[in-house]
Amino acid sequence: MLLRLARIEWAIVVSTIALVAFGVLMLSTTADPGANGLQNQAVQKAILGAVGLGVAFAMAQIDYRALHGIAVPLFLAGVLALVMVLLVGDFDLGARRWFEVGAIVIQPSEFMKVAAVVAFAKYLADRRDSTRAFRTVMVSLGLMLIPAGLIFLQPDLGTALIFGAIWMAMVFVAGAQWWHLLMPVAIALAAFPFAWFFAQDYMRQRFVTFLDPGSDPLGAGYNVLQARISIGSGGWLGHGLGQGSQSQLEFLRVRDTDFIFAMLGEQLGLAGTIGLLAFFTLLIVQALVIGLRARDMFGRLLAIGIAAMIFTQSFVNIGMNVGLMPVTGITLPLVSLGKNSLLVTLLSVGILLSIHAHRGAAPFRQQSMHVVRGSLPAAGPRGGLGR
Amino acid sequence: MEAHPRPAARTGAGQPRISGTRRALLLGGAAIAGNTALAARLWQLQVVESDAYRVQAAQNRARTRPIQPLRGLIYDRDREPLVANAPVFSVWLRPAELPPEREGPVLANLAVLSGERSEDLQFKLNQARTAPDTPARLARAVPRESALTIEERRHDLPGVTVRTGTRREYAHGDVFGHILGFTGPIPAEDVEAYRRQGVRFDEDIGLAGVERSLQTQLRGRDGEQRLEADAFGRTLNELSFRPPQVGQHAVLTIALNEQKAIREILARHLALRDRGAGAVVVLRPDSGDVVAMVSLPDYDSNIFTRGASSESFALLVSDPRRPLINHAISGLYPPGSTYKVITASGALEAGVVLPQSKIHCDGRLILPSGWAFDDWLPQGHGLVDLERAIAESCNIYFYNVSGGNPYTRLQGLGNRRLAEFERSFGFGERTGIDLPGEASGLVPTSEWKNKNLQQPWVTGDTYHAAIGQGLVQVTPLQIASMYAAIGNGGRVMRPRLIDRMLDQHGNVAVRTPPQVRSVLPISDENLRLLQSGLYRAVNEPSGTGPRARSSHTVVAGKTGTAEYSGLRDAEGRLPSHAWFAGYAPAEQPQYAFAVLVRDGGEGSFAAAPIARDIVDYLMTGDMPPLPQERPDFVSPDHRL
Repeated sequence: MLLRLARIEWAIVVSTIALVAFGVLMLSTTADPGANGLQNQAVQKAILGAVGLGVAFAMAQIDYRALHGIAVPLFLAGVLALVMVLLVGDFDLGARRWFEVGAIVIQPSEFMKVAAVVAFAKYLADRRDSTRAFRTVMVSLGLMLIPAGLIFLQPDLGTALIFGAIWMAMVFVAGAQWWHLLMPVAIALAAFPFAWFFAQDYMRQRFVTFLDPGSDPLGAGYNVLQARISIGSGGWLGHGLGQGSQSQLEFLRVRDTDFIFAMLGEQLGLAGTIGLLAFFTLLIVQALVIGLRARDMFGRLLAIGIAAMIFTQSFVNIGMNVGLMPVTGITLPLVSLGKNSLLVTLLSVGILLSIHAHRGAAPFRQQSMHVVRGSLPAAGPRGGLGR
Repeated sequence: MEAHPRPAARTGAGQPRISGTRRALLLGGAAIAGNTALAARLWQLQVVESDAYRVQAAQNRARTRPIQPLRGLIYDRDREPLVANAPVFSVWLRPAELPPEREGPVLANLAVLSGERSEDLQFKLNQARTAPDTPARLARAVPRESALTIEERRHDLPGVTVRTGTRREYAHGDVFGHILGFTGPIPAEDVEAYRRQGVRFDEDIGLAGVERSLQTQLRGRDGEQRLEADAFGRTLNELSFRPPQVGQHAVLTIALNEQKAIREILARHLALRDRGAGAVVVLRPDSGDVVAMVSLPDYDSNIFTRGASSESFALLVSDPRRPLINHAISGLYPPGSTYKVITASGALEAGVVLPQSKIHCDGRLILPSGWAFDDWLPQGHGLVDLERAIAESCNIYFYNVSGGNPYTRLQGLGNRRLAEFERSFGFGERTGIDLPGEASGLVPTSEWKNKNLQQPWVTGDTYHAAIGQGLVQVTPLQIASMYAAIGNGGRVMRPRLIDRMLDQHGNVAVRTPPQVRSVLPISDENLRLLQSGLYRAVNEPSGTGPRARSSHTVVAGKTGTAEYSGLRDAEGRLPSHAWFAGYAPAEQPQYAFAVLVRDGGEGSFAAAPIARDIVDYLMTGDMPPLPQERPDFVSPDHRL
């Protein structure tokens, strides 16, 4: 069943476009009425989405295995950028997370996500015969901890944890032994009291707020509570686009980024939130299916990593909006305002398309768009991008 | 470029070595499960609990703004307004917006513009700094031009705002100070109690007089405007509006001209006798209506609402005569001989003496214990019956009928029964007049003395109580109320100060009917004997109150000279308050009154003429001539 769905390749494109459209729609309701044309953030998002989609289609033309060759420099460049941002990044809201180059803001941690997925995929695929070995798991763990640690120092705990989740999913599919995987989890749990001791105040505060948002409604718990009120008051169909007192009167803060989902809940109701969730599910399932049908382990792990990246971010963000997860500052991929995140996610979708398009392709140098040799019976001869 | 040869070599075209399918499917299952959990939560929030969140969202955006009603007015008996709501500009400052380094120049500017002293402003600002986000009122009333200037110069005066409101303007604040009282900011300790009644912390409330006792009725009830507001408090549009309920207007039983004239009469007499303090209460015997109530020295209500200067306020507070206190209802004094009527009525009702029973008075009664009790007349009154005892104010008679006489074996009324009669005249409890701060006075008993002074009750205590001396304490209002009851045939009325409350259209909202507190436990014959004694006290040559005689009507009444512990004079006499209480006309009383001159000496000399002038004025409507008697006219041997 899932495999049959996979043949309909446009599903991944449609769900991606749908998710970006949700974001454009939401941003259009909060845009500064004085901002026209390119000033309008909804317009900016739409344009950037279109450009990103073009990049994704272009990416699909290139054999994803090209990434195998540039994995190491990509990873090193990412790490270097993270070090740079710690040293000379713009200090804003108590953290160093980005550079400003002219009007463009560059957030290295976003690009690092893709670079890390590519690096893990290369390392694990290259050692696919020894993934049961403890050493392989530990080395890959070390690879993960470099960017995660640098991001943790920004400080941005949420994004650092995303790296852990991506790593875990990829190592798991690569074939690591259960106890190798459970050990870091056990260590993490055992370290919790110590981490609590050394944690920054905002982290503790967020944890406490997660446990009981009502404890300080005008302080740290304010956003969580307002998000819940926004979503809950939306009801079945919501108040309508541009309506809803919570988001329009700005009781709901950071409504364009972290809490854009709550704004959606208020304006479009259960119909909107379930719709959005369905598109995310479709996208993730598509990514997994592409992984299952990839022609090699590198492709499969790439797809798994991208699926994990999109899923953990969306799950953590929506979970935070509905009060099931602590506040982490993770944005909703494709939907939220962030331009770096949008581009990186669309690039990832492009990689997925490439893996799909080249699932039956000839070895690297002889690839062609029309020669399709499915390795799985379900993959018909007419699959692929050129269809 | 050559970093990827292996896929081609190892995976080959058709034989990819690929693993982890089951695990990938497992992850897919986990992702679907996770998103299903989110969907379930969304169902819970948006369907199951949606109504509760809708309510919270509505509360978020609605801001309610109270609309304060105009305070009700107060009129005299003839609907002459005694107070008006004058528009006023007040200056407020939110300390958080004023940087400390700009404090000096800003306050200096404000001092010039508002006319307040900069020290006062600095003091208020220092206090306000404890709650920097709450605007504090720096000046209650500034002239319109100053208010406009302050508004224009907002940029030089950070945190300063001008608000418009109203201020109480008392038309006859000097005459009605103690009755109307005044309004002002809520005392800090009462803010919470008023908040529960819906009064805002920065509102002016009634702090004294009728303004205080009728605070709730005069204030009315807030209206409410509900506005839609955003998260930053900016209001967007009106959601609903409920108009305020305007405060009711009060109509007093007092007429402006009468109050004014009676105050003037008392003031003239006090000035003549060089006495600084006194009180007058005039009641209508049948209804208990207050005709006039004066306590001198007094204050002008306006100095509180206009913003009293620090000096004038300090002067009021430090004056030893305590002008801020309405001594007519709050001052406690021994009643002196005005109290003898009670002893007389008790002795008659209890059968201690018959009306015609005569008791010999030789000027002194010495108990076996050796204590001597004197009459005011050293040579004594001879054989006196009840009426003469009242008329001539014979102490010895009242000693005998109250505490008994060990030599004649006369059984007196006794302390317990005397106290009962005192209470039946309304002593020892508040009269219930619509004014704050009324004192209840003291009816002393052996229990009270044991408990509070740890001393046993002795016959001498009963003797003292019988002539209104010693431990007895009363207010002038209680004395007036007692004589009103004797004059009206035995009904003790609740003094009535508020005739009616009017709604905003001038229609009667509440009428306060006369209220009988109690009926004297005295037979009609015995009451007539008391009335006759009071008539003779004023109108017979041997009576003590001839100076109360009016040329326009017949006055009945009783003098009182109430000694109190203080410095003795040259002849070794204790200082005393002068009283005169009674009613007029004697046959069909229209007025009952009590006059007190603090430290005035003899009641017959200091107080009785005041009563006469008041009665003359009330009967004719003309101001009596200026009093002529001189202080040196006082006969030293009259101890009434």
